[in-house]
Amino acid sequence: MVAAGAALALSACSQTPAKWAPVSIYRASEYSENLFDLVRRLIAEHGLNVRGKRVVLKPNMVEFDERTVINTNPKLVHAALEGFKAAGAADVRIAEGPGHRRLTLDLADAAGYFSTIPRFESLFTDLNLDQLRLVNLVRPQSKLRSLYLPNTVLNCDLLVSLPKLKTHHWAGATLSMKNLFGLVPGGIYGWPKNVLHWAGINESIADLHTLFPRAFSIVDGIVGMEGNGPIQGTPRPAGVVVAGADPVAVDATCCRIMGLDPERIGYLDLAAGKARLAEDVVPQIGEALHSVATRFAVLPGLERFQLPAGEGKS
Amino acid sequence: MPDSAEIQNQQNRDGGWPYQAGAASWTEPTCYALLALAASGQAQSGAARSGSQWLARHQREDGGLAPCEPVAESTWLTALALLLPHEVPGGVDRARAAKWVLAQTGRESGWAYSLRMFLLGVRSETSLSFDGWPWYPGAAAWTIPTALSVLALEKLGRQNMDAQLKRRIEQGRSFLLARRCRDGGWNHGSTKALGYDSDSYPETTGVGLLAMHGSDGPEIARAVARAEEHLASCESYQAASWLRLGLLAHGREPKAPSLMRRGQTLEIALGILADAAQQGTNLFLG
Repeated sequence: MVAAGAALALSACSQTPAKWAPVSIYRASEYSENLFDLVRRLIAEHGLNVRGKRVVLKPNMVEFDERTVINTNPKLVHAALEGFKAAGAADVRIAEGPGHRRLTLDLADAAGYFSTIPRFESLFTDLNLDQLRLVNLVRPQSKLRSLYLPNTVLNCDLLVSLPKLKTHHWAGATLSMKNLFGLVPGGIYGWPKNVLHWAGINESIADLHTLFPRAFSIVDGIVGMEGNGPIQGTPRPAGVVVAGADPVAVDATCCRIMGLDPERIGYLDLAAGKARLAEDVVPQIGEALHSVATRFAVLPGLERFQLPAGEGKS
Repeated sequence: MPDSAEIQNQQNRDGGWPYQAGAASWTEPTCYALLALAASGQAQSGAARSGSQWLARHQREDGGLAPCEPVAESTWLTALALLLPHEVPGGVDRARAAKWVLAQTGRESGWAYSLRMFLLGVRSETSLSFDGWPWYPGAAAWTIPTALSVLALEKLGRQNMDAQLKRRIEQGRSFLLARRCRDGGWNHGSTKALGYDSDSYPETTGVGLLAMHGSDGPEIARAVARAEEHLASCESYQAASWLRLGLLAHGREPKAPSLMRRGQTLEIALGILADAAQQGTNLFLG
């Protein structure tokens, strides 16, 4: 099995690994055909054997606003779709459960998914309305004890989290782990999935991570969002794609690229502890982290999430 | 223009309706399909009868309805079942369902939350004074469940209005007025975050306006204007149907835009309901 996807695997996978898998950092200045090669390279580099497997791609699709860049760019999702198909996956689906807007297909249409990805509707599952089952949380950090989760995700062999590189006005950053909020079905919990907020945002993110600790992550940092993310922020080109098999390690690296301190991101601390977030314990391949660092602006009052000036360059 | 045959074609063998043809039955599409059949003059058809029986079978001990199997929790859509016209045969025990709906409030309007926020010195950016309805028990109140619960209680009140019903309807409407966005319409129910204003959405603006039928004043005029703006640029058939329902409830005569349909049950049903409202029969209000 490539990664955790089934309820049976949940308790066994709730510990963080002794050593992080390496995190890939690659420059990508635009949403071009080159992304197809880049995804194939990432699959090979991380030894993802998906032959005959069911793969679910989970982009971040929240709202659409033509003035900014809220959602994972569909060209990167298309590249991932083709990349995993080329690697021999038996089935590759795109799945998302937006947190604010109920009309998911209309949102996907506005966000360019229909025009970018051929036969998008037949490849897509609305996780807000999918069939589901109850999953018990093992040693939860939030007030949640169980969650109904969609079968499309629970039954897959590999979940691929495809978030956008964004600041977040509550959590500090929204990356591959926060992207898992989209797995929680709005058809049960509503729009927004407010039970997660009451249970504790950071704690809920950490709990969802324990259910899918080996989700593979490919972060769209080609154009990210700074300031009032995750919805009302400003586009911030960072020209980078970050990927890896340990979501905590990927997100910690992405934080550093944005000039944020991963040790101050509550859910990363809960998931792994500050000592496991230090830069020298997260192995990286590809570009040197500091060569692609692009300091993202944060809202006034949220400077506590930032690394000291100079550790992320503008 | 969608018709009742399209709705009947989506019905599952168990009597319920799925969100999308071929999927399992859920409570929400079943309620909207039954409303659409009633709006098409087929409230007593075999399809309506079996759908109504599906709902009755899924009413829980506490009087509420769960979204689907295997969920063991009653949620907001219990209010939808109360919107079904009495002509639909069988169906849920309305008294028990109403009792469940009346027992729900947004968690933020409770005294415990208010006290905690006071002690922490946290000042909310939106008014927490009014009881709305949550999507899921124990969570905060939001636009859509509040708007549909207000409409459901009004329907009950047409049979027998009492002080509790009246208070909750007034509270729900006050909640909606307080949760309008800066642009005059509604989004999911969060008008500000960290001091930054949020914009409205088409579908929630339509639902909000529908629940505010019979109201007037500058706030409603602004909401109507925003709904008309949304409709002029709307590219979603379902959102346009909600906007039409909301505008019709305020005496406007919106044109039905020519938009692509995706064949989902809610989309078909809401199209039928908006068309019926345009013809003078708004089942949300009757």
